[in-house]
Amino acid sequence: MAIQSENRPVLSLQGVCKAFGGIIVAEDISFDVSSCEMMGLIGPNGAGKTSLLNMISGIYSMDKGRIMFGDVDVSKAPAHKRARLGLARTFQAPRFLQRSNIRDNLLLGTDLADQYTFFQSFIGKKSKDFEEELSELMEIAGFTFDWDDLIAAFPYGRLKILEIVRAMLSKPRILLIDEPAAGLNDIEIGHAVALLKLATEKRGMGVVLIEHKMDMVMNNCHNIVVLNFGKVIAKGQPEMISKNKDVIEAYLGRGYDVAN
Amino acid sequence: MKKKKLVKFLVYLVFVLALILIVPSVTTGYSIMIVDVALLYFIAALGLSVMLGIGGQMTFAAVSFMGVGAFTSAQLSKYAHIPTSLSIILGILVAALFAFLIGLVLLRLKGPFFAFSTISLVQIMSNIFLNYEPLTGGARGIQSIPKLNLGVFSPNNLFGWFYLLIAVAIICGLIVERVRQTHLGRALSSVRDNEIAAMSLGVDVFKTKVVAFTIAGALAGLSGALYAHMSQYISQSLFTFNTSLTFIMMVMLGGVNSTVGTFFGALLVTMLPEWLRPLKQYLMIIYGVGIIFLMVYMPMGLAGVARSILTKCQRKKQQKGAEAANGYSK
Repeated sequence: MAIQSENRPVLSLQGVCKAFGGIIVAEDISFDVSSCEMMGLIGPNGAGKTSLLNMISGIYSMDKGRIMFGDVDVSKAPAHKRARLGLARTFQAPRFLQRSNIRDNLLLGTDLADQYTFFQSFIGKKSKDFEEELSELMEIAGFTFDWDDLIAAFPYGRLKILEIVRAMLSKPRILLIDEPAAGLNDIEIGHAVALLKLATEKRGMGVVLIEHKMDMVMNNCHNIVVLNFGKVIAKGQPEMISKNKDVIEAYLGRGYDVAN
Repeated sequence: MKKKKLVKFLVYLVFVLALILIVPSVTTGYSIMIVDVALLYFIAALGLSVMLGIGGQMTFAAVSFMGVGAFTSAQLSKYAHIPTSLSIILGILVAALFAFLIGLVLLRLKGPFFAFSTISLVQIMSNIFLNYEPLTGGARGIQSIPKLNLGVFSPNNLFGWFYLLIAVAIICGLIVERVRQTHLGRALSSVRDNEIAAMSLGVDVFKTKVVAFTIAGALAGLSGALYAHMSQYISQSLFTFNTSLTFIMMVMLGGVNSTVGTFFGALLVTMLPEWLRPLKQYLMIIYGVGIIFLMVYMPMGLAGVARSILTKCQRKKQQKGAEAANGYSK
């Protein structure tokens, strides 16, 4: 797959605002994500990271602002339209079809990539490259499975990785990943990171990564946006962010002067 | 994998052949009618299996679409003198269109609210069937509906109908099985299990539900149209809420997510009142208690029980294999 080396951002947030009653979850948030870029989205608990992801993917509506996807304004587009434009995501708690087997769960990702209508899918045949693509991804994911296994019988850590695989099977332009490392051991985190690296470096996707594991974010992200109470408090490269006073304050609290 | 499929196919083939060979020789004029009706109900229940089994949307509406299909085909063939083969197709189309339009409105409601709205649809439609004489003949119904004439094959008795209905049922069953394996089936399953995941995977939740509802309507319409030409007499009393309940029992007893299960469910639920004739006034109590036990002990119906027995056997086999291997190594 050719890597596009365009400078224009694929995903662009412009002044996004959202409040639930009196609680402000997003206040004038703007940032860009381009292809091949891994962008970290960090902040203390309750900073509005997942809410922002929900607004980008269209599960929440915005109060104000604009979300551009390539040249398309998707601010008002419903979630499934955004997905069909090439916006895939994973969830903090994996969301699968609990009563279906793994095959159906993963094929749902390729259905999105194929963009067949129901009728085309009814008379057509499934393309073979799906299996190649999958075996390539599973090699990096670090485990195998039986097609007919029920998804409910799968351990949590693998479900989280499998959700990334499913999202990548849909061949998106932007991949939104919500806390992939939560509940995973170090080896599994390594596999998840390898998948995300493949997505950005080889497949040219732009990734937005929410994560609390700082070493994972600092070592892999090209840029980082820090949120606190719905506001962007810092933006930039990892080295800058780790020294930023506001960020340290948000995470650890204000410096305490013993003399006073 | 391939071998498994072949075995499955052979089992079904033998089963169908046995059915075709045995049933006509052991049934009489009356009992073959019960079997025919069961097959018709199976076709309508398949629509429910798509909506409830794959899509997780409880609906009672099938019986109304069945009525629409039946009255349309009956009217067109009797009064407009349209050939029966064509009138059946028109019956299906009208039922599907009706389901589509109703679906556009009712599917804006979710979960139990949608289910309740379909109950009211059934009540409204059964009142219309009873009182709108120009369309339905009112309480007298429509009599002497033309016999089915397909050109190459025209069933002139209930045994002929049996062969025809088996063929139609198999075709409908295959279509539903195919739907299960395609994008529509997966999209529907995702709507059932996790709407938010469905949306984020590009599934248009509303459209998917409407398409499934329309398919269910078409299947019910087909069933109704065939019914009209088979019994040559239809009236409102066939298309009431009670019939709708039996559809739900068929799907639940057979297995909400299994086509073969639905077939057995349809057969059993249609035959049960015949077997339990001495207990006729207690039938509804038996049904009610039966459903409660069904939901507690076998929520996935007969198909679910069969599946869990199969996996248990497989596991035992594997265990034995493993033990044998260990034994040799020691």
